[in-house]
Amino acid sequence: MNFSTIDLLSAGAALLAVMMCGFSGLYSQLRSLAVQTAFLAGIAISIGMSSGATHYLVLAGVVLLIKSIGIPMFLAWSAKRLEIPRDAGVMLPPALSALFGVGLLVAGYFLSSQFAVPKMGNIGEAGMTMTLIFIGMMLMITRRLAISQVIGFLVLENGIFLYGLTQTHGMPMLVEMAAVFEVLMGVMIAGLVTYRISRTFEHVDVTHLRGLRH
Amino acid sequence: MNQLLLISAIPLLITLLGFFPRMARKLPKLAAVLMALQIPVVLTLIPAALNGSVPMWRGFAIDGTAAAFLVITTLVAAAAMAQAAFLMPAERAAEHPSSDGHLCMFYSMTGLFLLAMYTVLVSVNLGYMWIAMEATTLLSAPLIYYHRGPRSLEATWKYLILCSVGIAFALFGTVLIFAAQHGVHDGGSLLISKIIEHPGDIDPRLMRMGFIFCLLGYGTKAGIFPLHNWLPDAHSEAPSPTSAMLSGSLLNCALVAIWRISQVVTATGQGHLVQQLLVPAGAITVLAASIMLIRQHDLKRMWAYSSVEHIGLLTLAIGINSGGVFMLHAFNHSLAKTALFLLSGAILHQYGTKSLSKLAGLLKASPAWGAALCIAGFAIAGSPPFGTFISEWLLLRDTFTKGEVFAGVVVIIGLAITFIAIMGHINKIVFGVKPTLAHKDINPAWAYAPLGLMAISLVAGFAVSPPVMNALTMLISGGLPQ
Repeated sequence: MNFSTIDLLSAGAALLAVMMCGFSGLYSQLRSLAVQTAFLAGIAISIGMSSGATHYLVLAGVVLLIKSIGIPMFLAWSAKRLEIPRDAGVMLPPALSALFGVGLLVAGYFLSSQFAVPKMGNIGEAGMTMTLIFIGMMLMITRRLAISQVIGFLVLENGIFLYGLTQTHGMPMLVEMAAVFEVLMGVMIAGLVTYRISRTFEHVDVTHLRGLRH
Repeated sequence: MNQLLLISAIPLLITLLGFFPRMARKLPKLAAVLMALQIPVVLTLIPAALNGSVPMWRGFAIDGTAAAFLVITTLVAAAAMAQAAFLMPAERAAEHPSSDGHLCMFYSMTGLFLLAMYTVLVSVNLGYMWIAMEATTLLSAPLIYYHRGPRSLEATWKYLILCSVGIAFALFGTVLIFAAQHGVHDGGSLLISKIIEHPGDIDPRLMRMGFIFCLLGYGTKAGIFPLHNWLPDAHSEAPSPTSAMLSGSLLNCALVAIWRISQVVTATGQGHLVQQLLVPAGAITVLAASIMLIRQHDLKRMWAYSSVEHIGLLTLAIGINSGGVFMLHAFNHSLAKTALFLLSGAILHQYGTKSLSKLAGLLKASPAWGAALCIAGFAIAGSPPFGTFISEWLLLRDTFTKGEVFAGVVVIIGLAITFIAIMGHINKIVFGVKPTLAHKDINPAWAYAPLGLMAISLVAGFAVSPPVMNALTMLISGGLPQ
């Protein structure tokens, strides 16, 4: 069995996503998210090194700086400001949630051939992509805190980024960059809205937002 | 490129003016005048688009589709700004006291939001289109939160999170469409004209996946059932000029995105998938929305659900590949819905409530408002002689000729229920005893912008003839610049 750097890094990213399902502490979730995103930046670097395309290195730098360091730090700062160290109201017990995460990993494995571009030789990574997307969605559905939902969204976004990296010869640079910056903008706005929610409702449990039914 | 700069000048100017809080007293009127001036500017694009000459600059082009929807978007924005000139100062003085900076932020954001929507429409590169679409979400979220109450906060959160996830799926779909070109020698592109150049080299499996994810993503943004959950909240809690722009122009942008991607998918030989997915989605959306319209307690939520219904009709039009009808109905729906949201904003301000059980006697309170609401209500329910009747009729005709009999029957049932539901609600608002109003001075001038829109809708209803439909079809079939 020969594993390339890309294989190892994307497997690491997928395993971190499974681990994140088992955490209820926001800080450990954010740390995992940061490492996971750094792995993706590592994949970009390794592709850039082997193909000699410098724009991968630039992209890796931007992702590392914004998505791996900037956004988790901003979210950690928000969590600290709101005094919510953990997601107390996880709808699924963390252990069970991690088990589901493993299930989604397996589901991703079975879906990999459906989504892979055979010519690229990264069939496993297509499965990891699906795992990240599924786990991101599961995190968004089963967590109650506004910040946890943003974390789930970022995992989902990472999955899409992984697919673009491993299954294509590089998306147009402008689109990749714009995606990173819009994620940053989205997270900032979501952070502000979360702060408003905590001030207005005196909680950040989004499942309790149910004034608008009729 | 000149044309692109030309159309973005005025929205940009409004945005810049919003950075000066000292402008707060003059800005509402100024923005209304500026947006009215924007209408002739945008209309100049139509002759060129009809001639088939498409000015292009990188991934942007003003083709027929873009030109037509730019006109619709501008009309909606101009009417919204005209109403905002009355509504915003009045609201500030009464129920929503706010600082100058806050009001100016509204105008800055509206200008940027309009620019983002323009960018969606003129993008012929799927990547740029995605960027602009995401930008519309981020830029309109602060507008929805303008009133700063708990309800608008909840609506903003739902809108932000659901549309962000939706738009993330659209990104995945876009990446899949890019990956589907792995067989193309130069590695593929996101430019629509490049994608359809080599239909034989495209991986059909990934193309289909890409279409499904794009439909899921942009469909969330458009409010196709059952992805419409955020829509009634956002549209009802936003200030009324913003509601009008969300409903009258942003939904169109999402549908234009779906239309362009459907064209790409059809051109690469997967047209049957477009029809298989969009026709049932559209028909179910119409029926579901019509059922939800029956039990409504809130005036603006009712119009939001009515938007979902019309999105269903437009999705159906894309599904059966009737570009001309899609364009015509989008135009008619936007006019009527904008008029209704603007009137509802005025009613909300005057009555101090938008609860349907408390609204009555509008005709006695102000004949102009009552008449305008009746007219716009008839138009949105699709009764003759308004444009919506013609476009719905043509849509049903095309649905049956394409052999989608079941979908056609479902839509007819949905339209019938909608008509009864909307007429029932309007009947209660317009007639009945004279109400006690929150603000005594009811100004008929507030109904002018909605009545103007309805006059255009009426003309559009009479103007439709085979040559006009041919022109529209020509306009939209120029949607893929060669």
